[in-house]
Amino acid sequence: MNQLFRLIDVDVNKIVLVKEISAGHKAQRFLADLGIHEGEKIRITKNDVGPIIVEIKGTRVAVGRGLASKISVLMEE
Amino acid sequence: MNDHSIEHKIAFLGNPNVGKSSLFNLLTHSHQHVGNWPGKTIEKKEGHFILSDEFFSLIDLPGTYSLSARSDEEIVTRKFITEEEPNLVCIIADATRLERTLFLAMQTMELTKNVAIFVNMSDLAEKNGLTIHPKDLEKQLGVPVLLVSAVDDTSVLRIKKFLYDAIHTDKYEFNPAMMMYSTKIELMIQSISRQIEDRGSCTEYPTRWLAVKVLEGDESVIETLEAEYDLTNVFDKIKVLAKSEKLDLNVELSKSKYSALHKIVASSVAGFTDFQESRSDKVDKIILNKFWSYPILIAIYAVFFLITFYASTPIINGIDLGISKFSFLVENWLININSPAILTSLIVNGIIAGIAAVLLFIPIIIIFYALIAIMEDSGYLARSAFIMDRVMGKFGLQGTAFLSMVMGFGCNVAGIMATRTIKNEKDRISMIITNSFLPCAARLGVIAFLTGIFFEPWLAALLMLTLYGFSIFLVLASSLLFGLFFKKSDPLPLILEIPEYRRPRLRNIFHLTWTRAGIFIKKAGTFIFLASLFIWLMSSIPFGAPPERTIAGYLGRGISYVTEPLLGLDWKMVIPLIFGIPAKEAIISALGILYSTGGSIIEVIKASWSIPQAISFLLFQLTYAPCFASLAAIRTETKSWKLTAIGFFYPLIVTILSTTVVFQILKLVI
Repeated sequence: MNQLFRLIDVDVNKIVLVKEISAGHKAQRFLADLGIHEGEKIRITKNDVGPIIVEIKGTRVAVGRGLASKISVLMEE
Repeated sequence: MNDHSIEHKIAFLGNPNVGKSSLFNLLTHSHQHVGNWPGKTIEKKEGHFILSDEFFSLIDLPGTYSLSARSDEEIVTRKFITEEEPNLVCIIADATRLERTLFLAMQTMELTKNVAIFVNMSDLAEKNGLTIHPKDLEKQLGVPVLLVSAVDDTSVLRIKKFLYDAIHTDKYEFNPAMMMYSTKIELMIQSISRQIEDRGSCTEYPTRWLAVKVLEGDESVIETLEAEYDLTNVFDKIKVLAKSEKLDLNVELSKSKYSALHKIVASSVAGFTDFQESRSDKVDKIILNKFWSYPILIAIYAVFFLITFYASTPIINGIDLGISKFSFLVENWLININSPAILTSLIVNGIIAGIAAVLLFIPIIIIFYALIAIMEDSGYLARSAFIMDRVMGKFGLQGTAFLSMVMGFGCNVAGIMATRTIKNEKDRISMIITNSFLPCAARLGVIAFLTGIFFEPWLAALLMLTLYGFSIFLVLASSLLFGLFFKKSDPLPLILEIPEYRRPRLRNIFHLTWTRAGIFIKKAGTFIFLASLFIWLMSSIPFGAPPERTIAGYLGRGISYVTEPLLGLDWKMVIPLIFGIPAKEAIISALGILYSTGGSIIEVIKASWSIPQAISFLLFQLTYAPCFASLAAIRTETKSWKLTAIGFFYPLIVTILSTTVVFQILKLVI
């Protein structure tokens, strides 16, 4: 049940809990400034080809697929 | 700068897309000055208003998400707040996204006490069913909070009154709530603070803030501190502690701020619903659809270029007609008053022709940038960068590089300046150097003029598209080439905010258009005008000689010994190209002077050039050299003469090679 997913494997409209971001320092800091960090809920609004778009605190943020594959998330009900 | 004895310095700070600049424009109107931050290629916008005979100087700090030292924008902002000590730092937040946009306020409050918060777009929030209680926010944040809206004129009056009262009365309190972190982090902060205090402070920054930044691993702060005293044992301690607690301190600190904010916002805002599909999401299902996004993008940009071209044509023709009538009148008048022939020629062919060259390009530039401003303000421009990210990625570039290319089609100077949003150094330099490959409005004029002479309309259109395609290809291929010369660094991955769709606002469009078209009018205008005078001089000395015996004539004939067999360019074709080096606008006027041997210029040119020659000329002028204004922009943006030289010679060499190949093949085929 508590299985971790990579952000790129999550379907659109799902709300997930960020568990781990194993990206470079700079990217991690930038994401944290935008509110994307461990323990935060985000909603996936686009995920097919090209960058992924997530909703975080009322803002849509596009994240490159490479970076999105380094973000591990937990499914929320 | 002003004769008011009392001056107050007010800084505006906020995330991108919160309407900060709109508010700034409303408050300062035309009393604005745009410059650069010292030593940086970041725009510094200043403005002012006067109230009760006191001078309120406003500084529009660059839009930024935080105050870490990740970018030049953030460093500039930090420095300004601590070193220039503004009377007040106004944080502009977005009422519909309070938590996110107040994050910057939390960071600023660690840096200075004098913070006020303007919650913008409060009208929109109300429409969305949000009720914000500013008093509750004030109580918890410890600084004044004002609900405002950039579309409502009473907001301007309220802001002005607030600024006045905040400075003159003690009606408002400035006691920013101190951000308390977890016990572990607080202990670390205290320990570092003590170390710094024991050694005596060497900077203007508050000690606690320095300690927090040291914990964050802020390179710029650590560098400053290390220059003064040895802190190695402090850093070692931090590392050990962080490791033993399995903490990423940087992320931990942001998290603490966000969780504090979450509580504050939750208790002062009613009606907030998270994770709802918004109207923008629905529109994006089509606009960003994996199949439809490209056709829609192509259609939007096609319409954009068609409008630019067709809407400006009648205006340009009108101006052209007006100028030739005016020029005719002046010439007759000068002849009537027996002015010397050389003076008549200077005024008519030099000065008036020079002013005409500038005037003729203003309509196309204004329409071009007005349309871009509409796309930008509506939210589509950011999305086109998003859509193009996949395509640009194939050439090692990010989607944001696409925007500098779009800007370059109007004026390369604006295109080069637009590279400031590109975060990766290699991408940025590559896009600066190759922007002049993209035909600006001036070269569009040459292309439209010449293709119209030699080809049927459909073939002309096809050729035009091919030329545009070729220039784009050169930019992208060059980026791959330059990639070989840069050491592989870890590029910052794409992280891009996608703004909500909005109805474009006239005020914003006006300001965006004015700042960009203004660059062309001021900078390029001077260059074009001086270049026109220079051309007149070169093609008039010795005075009264036929074109081939002037300085320009000898120069052209000399060069044509090489260019004629190789590129098919004879001396009469070479001269306009030489004149076009400082400003491409000069190409058409130079053609006009050289081929005006009685009868229609169009017929004369058509009779004297073969088809391969015409194509060779078109291809050569397309990419051969950046104009002087662009070169100046390359120098300003790169701060390197070497890169400026590359910016001149690289296009020249590429163009000579590519045009030679095409001309030699065409000669065999046709």
